[in-house]
Amino acid sequence: MSACDPVTLEIIRGAARAAQAEMEALLERTAMSAFIREKKDFYTAIFDAEGAMAVGSDLPIFGDITGPVTARYPLESMQPGDLYWYNDCYGSRGAVSHSNDQVFLAPVFLDASDDRRAEGPGGLNRPQEKLDASDDRRAEGPGGLNRPREELDASDDRRAEGPGGLNRPREELDAPDDRRAEGPGGLDRPRSQPVRVGFVMGWAHFSDIGGLRPGSLSPDATDHFQEGVIIPPVRLQRGGETNEDLLRTFWRNSRFPVQSEGDTRALMAAVRLGEARLAEMAGRFGPEVLADAFVQLLTRTEAIVRAKLRATFPVGTTRFADAIDGDGQGNGPFILRLALTRTQDDRFVLDATETSDQAPGPVNLLMHPDVPGMALGLYFLQGEPGQVLNAGGPRALDEVRLREGSLLWPRSPAPLGLRGLTMMRLLAAFHGLVAVARDGEAPAAHSAYVILALRGEHLGKRFLLSDGVAVGYGARPFADGVDAVYFVAQENYPAEFLELGYPVRLRGYGMHRDSGGAGRFRGGCGVVRDYEVLCDEAQVAIRIDSVRNPPWGVAGGKNGGSGRAVVNPGTPEERLLPPLSDGTVLRRGDLLRLETGGGGGWGHPFDRPAEQVLQDVRGGFVSPAAALRDYGVAIRDGVVDAARTAALRAQRPAAGLFHRHGYADAVA
Amino acid sequence: MTLLVAVDIGGTFTDITLQDAATGEAWTAKTPSTPRDPSEAFLTGIGLALQAAGRAAGAITRVLHGTTVATNLILEGKTAPTALLTTQGFRHVLEIGRADLPRRDNLWAWRKPQRPVPPALVFEVPGRIAADGTELAPLDEAALRAAVREAVAAGARAIAICFLHSFANPAQERRALALVREEAPDLAATASSDVLPVVREYERSMATVLNAGVMPAVTTYVARLERRLEGAGIAAPLLLMKSNGGVAGAAEIRRAPVQTALSGPAAGVVGAAAMARAAGVPDIITVDIGGTSADICLLRGGAPGLTQSGRVGPWPLPLPMLDMVTIGAGGGSLARVAEGALLVGPESAGADPGPACYGRGGDRPTVTDAHVVLGHLPPALLGGRMALDPALAGQSIRRHVADPLGLSVDAAARGILAIADNAMVGAIRLVSVERGHDPRDFALVPFGGAGPLHGTALADLLGMRRVLVPPSPGVLCAQGLLAAALKAEFSRSIALPLAAADPARLEAGFAALDAEAAAWFARESVAPADRATDRVALMRYAEQGFELAVPWPAAADPRPALAEGFAAAHHALYGFDLPAVPAEIVTLRLEASGALPAPAAAVLPPGADAAPIGRQAMRLAGGTVEAGIHDRGRLGAGARVVGPAVLVQMDATTLLPPGWTGSVLPTGALLLERAPD
Repeated sequence: MSACDPVTLEIIRGAARAAQAEMEALLERTAMSAFIREKKDFYTAIFDAEGAMAVGSDLPIFGDITGPVTARYPLESMQPGDLYWYNDCYGSRGAVSHSNDQVFLAPVFLDASDDRRAEGPGGLNRPQEKLDASDDRRAEGPGGLNRPREELDASDDRRAEGPGGLNRPREELDAPDDRRAEGPGGLDRPRSQPVRVGFVMGWAHFSDIGGLRPGSLSPDATDHFQEGVIIPPVRLQRGGETNEDLLRTFWRNSRFPVQSEGDTRALMAAVRLGEARLAEMAGRFGPEVLADAFVQLLTRTEAIVRAKLRATFPVGTTRFADAIDGDGQGNGPFILRLALTRTQDDRFVLDATETSDQAPGPVNLLMHPDVPGMALGLYFLQGEPGQVLNAGGPRALDEVRLREGSLLWPRSPAPLGLRGLTMMRLLAAFHGLVAVARDGEAPAAHSAYVILALRGEHLGKRFLLSDGVAVGYGARPFADGVDAVYFVAQENYPAEFLELGYPVRLRGYGMHRDSGGAGRFRGGCGVVRDYEVLCDEAQVAIRIDSVRNPPWGVAGGKNGGSGRAVVNPGTPEERLLPPLSDGTVLRRGDLLRLETGGGGGWGHPFDRPAEQVLQDVRGGFVSPAAALRDYGVAIRDGVVDAARTAALRAQRPAAGLFHRHGYADAVA
Repeated sequence: MTLLVAVDIGGTFTDITLQDAATGEAWTAKTPSTPRDPSEAFLTGIGLALQAAGRAAGAITRVLHGTTVATNLILEGKTAPTALLTTQGFRHVLEIGRADLPRRDNLWAWRKPQRPVPPALVFEVPGRIAADGTELAPLDEAALRAAVREAVAAGARAIAICFLHSFANPAQERRALALVREEAPDLAATASSDVLPVVREYERSMATVLNAGVMPAVTTYVARLERRLEGAGIAAPLLLMKSNGGVAGAAEIRRAPVQTALSGPAAGVVGAAAMARAAGVPDIITVDIGGTSADICLLRGGAPGLTQSGRVGPWPLPLPMLDMVTIGAGGGSLARVAEGALLVGPESAGADPGPACYGRGGDRPTVTDAHVVLGHLPPALLGGRMALDPALAGQSIRRHVADPLGLSVDAAARGILAIADNAMVGAIRLVSVERGHDPRDFALVPFGGAGPLHGTALADLLGMRRVLVPPSPGVLCAQGLLAAALKAEFSRSIALPLAAADPARLEAGFAALDAEAAAWFARESVAPADRATDRVALMRYAEQGFELAVPWPAAADPRPALAEGFAAAHHALYGFDLPAVPAEIVTLRLEASGALPAPAAAVLPPGADAAPIGRQAMRLAGGTVEAGIHDRGRLGAGARVVGPAVLVQMDATTLLPPGWTGSVLPTGALLLERAPD
C-alpha cells in the first residue's frame, strides 16, 4: 500500500471536511421539513472502502453505519450508482436508534468519477435526471404540502400487515447472508471491476413516517411498530436506476408525503454530491493513498482517545450512575449504571449491564456498542482542531458490555421513539465517570432537549408543529455552561416564522430564570416559551426529562433547574401537564407555557465573583432571591451590598463532589 | 472635466489614486496612516496626489472611500453602548440567538460569544403586530418613553428598535423612533424596518443593534472627513463603499452605517470586475489573498451575485452583500504541527512580527516563508526596500515543520503551500460548483499582495487554464472605488404561495419599492438617464428555508415565468426540482443602481519581450530550475514571458511555473495560460 505523507493527509482531511460542508449546505437549502431546514437535524460522514467511518460529524450517536448494509449486500456485489437506505433500529443493532432517522449510503468507486467527469461541465453537481421522474407524483393530484390524505388513510392497507408483522421475530429482520446469491451482483457485474474507495452517508430526521401519531414519535407508544414504517437495509438505486416503487411506498406511509418526498430528494442529491467529491479525491490522490489516509485518521483518533483515557482513569473500575425520571407510562425511574474498567495491561472495558430493565414506554435507547467510544471520543477531542471524530473513538474501548433486555439494549419490539432523553442523560453520565476519576474536573450535567408537538386542523388543513426547544448545558471547569442551546447545530424556529406558518402566537420567549445550576461557573439556563393557540382545537405532546432528577452539579456546583409544561398559568384554569405526555387537548385562546431545564453548576457558588452574580441578576438569568440563597450575594438598589455579602459568604456551606437536591458522592 | 480620487486606508499606509476620468491618466500617492485620526492621512495623501498631478483641489469632482471603521468596531466588540427596545416577552432574542452552535465546534468546549448588547440593556415595550401586519395591541408610548430614559440613565449612547413582524407593518417602529428622538435627541437611533425589513427576528435584531452601535463612530468619522475636505477646498461629494459593491453618499451611510460592515473585500472585487471587463474576460473567479485571509468571489457576465447570508465575526448580518467566501488562509498564516497533523492558519503572524523571513523577530513559519524557501519571491520586496532572509525562513520551517514530521525543508515548504492552496480550492469550489458553475469555464483573477503567487497553483488544482493578473494586484481596491456605481436594494417580505399571489398586489409591492428607489435616486442626485432598477423575487418551495433570487419577468402575469425560472435555478444549483410542490415568493427585492461616469481605460504602449533583470533558483518537486526575474514595469503590451519566471512589481509578485506562459495585454493586465497537455 502506498503511504500517505503528513501533508497529503492534511489535504485529504481538509477535502473531506469541504465535501461534508457542501453536502450539508445542499441539504440545508433544499430540505422541506422544519426538522432538517431549521433544526438542521442532519449529518454526513465519509467511510473507508471497508466501511469504517473515517470522517464523521461531531455528533456522538452513530453506530456502525455500513455494517447493516454490507451484511445484506456483500461489498463485492456493489456497483457505481448504487444507493442503500435504512432506518431499521433493531435490524441495524442501533446504528440508527429511532425510525425517523433515515440513513442513505452510497458506495464510491474510482471509475465512477471518471464517468462523471466525462459528463463535462456541470456534471459534478448535476444530478441524476432520474431523480426527477415526477410524473407519478403529479398524477397523485393536488394533495398540498402538509395536507394528509385522510381519505386514503383508511386502514385497509394496514390490515394486510396483520399481527404477523408485529410478532415477526427479530432474526428475520436481521436475515443475514443467505440471500446473497439472489443479488444480481454475480450476474451483471461489469467485466472490469471498478475500485471501491469508500462510502458517503447522508442522514436526516424525517418529520413523519407514519405510526401512531403525527410526527411518529409519541410518549404513548408501547411497541416499536407504532413508531413509523421500518425500512430494512434496501437498495434504493442500482447503477443510478431508482426504485421509485419503494419511494412511493415510503411516502404513502407519511401523513405529509410531499414534505417527505422533498426531504428524500434533498438527501439523495446530497449523497450523490458527496459521492462525486470522494471519487474526485480518489482520482486525485490515488485509491491507495486515500485508503492509507483513512487508516491514519482512524489510528490517530484512536491513539489520542486512548492516551486521554489513560490520563484520566486509574487502573481499576470507575463507576457512575444516573436516573431518568420515567417512561411517560407510569414506570420509572430507570437507572443507567456505567462501570469503566482499566485493566493492569491498559485495556478499557465499559460495562453497562447493571442498567435497569427496559421500559414499557418509548425511552429505551438501543445503544450500538460503538456509541460509548464516540461519546468519549467527542469529549476527549476537545481542543484538538486537527483531529476528526471517527470510528477510532470506538476502537479506543476494548470491550463494551450490554445486557439484553435492559434500557440500553432492549428486546424488539420495545418502543424507542423518545430515546433522545436517555441519550442526553447517558452523555452526561460519561462526564460523571470523568468527574469521579478526576475529582470533579469534568462538565456538570445538562438537561435533555425538549420537544413539543402541536397538531390539529386549521382552515381545513392538518398541521404538525414540531418544536425542538433549547435547554441549559452544564458548567465546565473553565467556563459557564452554555445558555439556551438545543443540541449541536440544530437551530430554533424564529417566532416570526412560527407565526407565519402555524396557528399559534408566541407570547414570550426568554431565559428560564434560575434554571442554571449555581456554581463558581454557572450552569446554562433553559428557556421559557409561551404559545397561544389560535385554532379551535389542537392536541399537544411534550417530552421533558430531568424533572424529578434535575441535572447534577459537580465540584461544589449545584444542580440545574427542572423543566415543566403548564397550561394557562396564573389563571384559575391553570394545569400542569405530565412531562412526558401526549393527547392533551388545547383550545383557542389557551396559553401553553413551556419551561425547559438548565445545566448543573461547577465549583462552589460562593466562589463566583459577586459582580458576575450581579450581571446575571441584571440580565434575567438569576433572581435576587437566588443570588442571596445560592450565591450568598446581597443586592440592594441594583448594586452589590458588599458588607452583607461578606457576612453571608463567611457562612460557607460545605460542599460535595456531586449535587442534586443536596450534596452527595453519587447521584443515583 | 472629471477628476476622481479614491482613498484606501490600510493599517500601515494610506493609498491614494487620482484619476482623470476623461483620459484615464492616473497618479498615486502613499502616506503613512494616522490611526488616531485617519482623516489626517486622508487629506495629506490627497494633497500629495494633487501635487503629483499638478491639479487644484477644487478640480476634484468625486471622492471615493472604503472604510473598515464599522467592521473593526464590531469585530473588536467596541460598538457604542447600545440599548435595544423590543416587543414585550422577547427580551432574550439576542441572547438565545438560534439556539445552536457552529457545526464544527465541540459542544463541550464551545463558549457562547458575548452579545453586542447585554440583556440588561434590552427593554421590552408593550404593543404587538401580527404576522399579517395587523395591530393586535397598541404601542405603549409611556412605557417606551420610560424605557428610553432608563436606557440613557444606564449609559446607552445608541438606541435600536426591533419589534416582531415590523417587516409586515413598520408603523409602531416608526412611531417608536419618533418618540426616541424626542426623549433622547442626542443619541443615535435606528429602527429595524429602516435597516433590514425582512423576516427572522434574531438576525434582524442583530443587524439593528449593530447598526445603532456603529452609528456614533461612523457618523463622527464621516463628519470629520467632510469637514477636512471642505477645509481643503474640495466641494465634491464623498461616496463610501457598501457591502453590496456599490457606493452611497455620506448621508445614506450615516443613516445605515452597518451597510459598510462587509465592504472590506467588495472594492477589490469591483476593481477586478472592471479590470477583467476591460480585458474582455467577463467570467472570472477572484481570489484576494492578503496577510490573514483570502476572499473568493465568482462573477458571471462581469457581475457578482448578492447574498443575504453574510456574517461579521460570529454575528449574522443578512444585508445584501457580494456573494463571496472568506477563509483564514493568507500570506501570514502560520504553519504548525499538532498531534502529527500539519495545520496552516487560521492564526496569522500579522504585520508584526510578520513572517520569519522579514527578520523582525518572527520565529514561526508562514506561507510567505514557504514561498521564500522555494525561490518564488525575489530577494527583496517593495521595490527593493524590504529584504527577505531565506535562511531565517528555512530555519523556522525546519524547526517547526520539517523536523517534527521528518521531512526535508523543501518538502515541508511545499506541504505548507499545498495545504493553504487546498483550503482556497475548497472555497473556490464553494462559490462555483455549489452555485451551479464549473470553475473550468472561468478565468482566475488573483490579487492582493499574495494572490499572484498562488494563482497558477490554484488554477492547476481546479483545471482552470487561464489566470488574469491585474496591472496592480496589490492596490485593486482603489480601482474598484473608481469603477463603482451607486447601489441600493429595497425589499419587502411577503411570504405568499406563488399561485395565490395576486399579480396586482405584486405589482403594487414593486410600485412601493419603486417609489422608495425614486426617493433614494433623488437623495443621491442621480440623473434620470443614469437610473436603473432590477426586480428580483426571492423564491423557495413551500417549507424550504432558503431562497433563490429569480429575475422578474416582464409579463402581465409574471407567475408562470417565475415558476419556470425558479425550477430551472433550483435544478441548476441543486440537481433536482420538485414539480409537485408549490413555490412561494418570500421577498420582493428591487436592486437600484445609479451609473457614475466611469474612467477611461488606460492603454499600455506595446513593448518587446524585456530581458530578465536577474535570475534565481526555483525549487520544484522534480528538481531545481533557474528562473528569470522580470520587472513587470518594463514589459510593454504584447510582451511574453515563459515560465519558470518570477515577475516583480511594487505591490505584488507573480509566480510563473514551468508550463505556463504570460502575455501582457494592452490594458496592462497579465494573462497567464497553461500550455496544452
